[in-house]
Amino acid sequence: MQRTTTQTGLLYTIISNLRMFYEGSRLSYIALFHWLRPSTYLASKIIMPLNQILFFTFLGEFSGQNTRDFYVIGNAVQMAAISGIYGVTMSIGGDRWAGTLPYLFGAPSSRLVMFLGRAFFHILDGAVGVIFGLVLGVLVLGLDLSQADPLLLLLAIIAATISSSGLGLLLGSVSLVTVNVWFFNNTLYFLLLLFSGANIARDDMPAWMVAVGDILPLTRSIEAARRVAAGGSFDDISGLLTVEVLLGLFYASFGFTFFRWIEFQARRRGTIDRM
Amino acid sequence: MSIAIEVQNLRRVYRASTSILGREKKEIVAVSDVSFDIKQGELFGLLGPNGAGKTTTVKMLATLLIPTSGTATIAGYDVVHQAQKVRESIGFIFGGERGLYWRLSGEDNLRYFASLYRLDPSEAKKRIPYLIELVGLKGRENEKIEGYSRGMKQRLHIARTLLHDPDILFLDEPTIGLDPVGARELRSIVRDLQSEKKTILLTTHYMFEADALCDRIGVIKHGEIVALDTPQNLKQGVQDLSVIEMEVYGIGSEVLDKLRAQPHVDSVSLEDREQKQALVIQSSHGSEIVQDVINNLNGYRVERVVVREPTLEDAYVRLVGG
Repeated sequence: MQRTTTQTGLLYTIISNLRMFYEGSRLSYIALFHWLRPSTYLASKIIMPLNQILFFTFLGEFSGQNTRDFYVIGNAVQMAAISGIYGVTMSIGGDRWAGTLPYLFGAPSSRLVMFLGRAFFHILDGAVGVIFGLVLGVLVLGLDLSQADPLLLLLAIIAATISSSGLGLLLGSVSLVTVNVWFFNNTLYFLLLLFSGANIARDDMPAWMVAVGDILPLTRSIEAARRVAAGGSFDDISGLLTVEVLLGLFYASFGFTFFRWIEFQARRRGTIDRM
Repeated sequence: MSIAIEVQNLRRVYRASTSILGREKKEIVAVSDVSFDIKQGELFGLLGPNGAGKTTTVKMLATLLIPTSGTATIAGYDVVHQAQKVRESIGFIFGGERGLYWRLSGEDNLRYFASLYRLDPSEAKKRIPYLIELVGLKGRENEKIEGYSRGMKQRLHIARTLLHDPDILFLDEPTIGLDPVGARELRSIVRDLQSEKKTILLTTHYMFEADALCDRIGVIKHGEIVALDTPQNLKQGVQDLSVIEMEVYGIGSEVLDKLRAQPHVDSVSLEDREQKQALVIQSSHGSEIVQDVINNLNGYRVERVVVREPTLEDAYVRLVGG
């Protein structure tokens, strides 16, 4: 048998980490969704978002609180949480169900690259989900995006998927130690519906609800998307998006620290088989 | 020949809660005091009954579990303080079907693990097809492994563990649950690895497997090594014994206790084989006590009585009790 080539050096480390980032992200995404037929996948990208957008838009319109576009944009951007929270959680928690954790923990790879790689394709997938939601909003509910700069709208969408994926990474780590992470996922998803400003204008919220919304993902990207739709410029949204991305990185960092702690505890307490 | 694995006074204690609130803790000694060395290129077998501490020992050596006390070095690296270096030097598999991504193809599984082991892409491109062929999965590598048989999954596990071409392998019950053909194929792969001078620590419940493959065997009982020698020497240790095997029906534990109390009976074990039972008695008096045994089985149906030379399994039974 041939010996594998041993290569060292910074460049090699960077290349191998990038490769692991891409392969880990791609293959964990395929491992998760390969069982879905294209029709099922498209249904999750069209029917579910359409249901949510229609439900909250009509409910909001009848209440007379805000315009139709307010609800359509809020719920379309909220779609980022489906990939960001549910997808990323499954991507990390899936290793627990597959029994692959001992092999991941026993590998010499960079844990940070492996961890972040699990979110990458879900960020892209989440962006696709939001775009689907906005397109449905335009086609079905007459959402007006004529004033919007598409590039700025895309930035707001990417920021939304990064921040919600950051929270998803934290929840993914939680899924390694709890049997029912879906309770946390569902609770957070509904908290986002309430507190992020997707369905209730933050100006109408009491101070404590605004404070909760401030520490949740999506709040600022929803606001940014609405400003872009109203013709806002980069300066109008840059501050919002910066904080949104930083919030996502904070959740991801917290999730990674928790992931490392779980790994250490699994080695110390011998719980790897019970995970 | 230099030492590849050095284990000294390894001990592992688990703490488990015994009350609902978790205030009462119970200590379970999984590995009490284990020491052994494995030379480079040696195939070392670790045998023992369920719960004896085999898998716990392997997990400590594979850096998945921190020892309570004692030390272990793999290729000169400490398993606790130089875990990263150890991980680069070893490959390991645990028996069973889990540990693979079922919705990915065999090849995609290997590609993913190749990236985890930081294999150079051009090297991975050559190595993955080579390993697929080595483990006999050529032609099936693009199928999702949820459709693989248990044996195919085990062979893929072997390929996975060889991706980075480690010099040291831990194979924890690799043939468990395999059909005879699958187990034979896997043993053949282990033999090939042995011929490539890999250092292998193998745990198994199958004595003939250990006898056929291992250079040396350590027998572990209640977390301690109770014997460590070549299969030949271990068998030599029971050369004074003869083994009486009987096919019987409906024997209960009270009969076994009665037989154990008989003079010249060294050990008695009973194994269920569908409707029949296989009664195995070790004795230094061989065929001389057959009639006494049959007398003690009065009222029970007895078929086929064989007196034979002891095997490694008999040596094992004597060591771990039966």
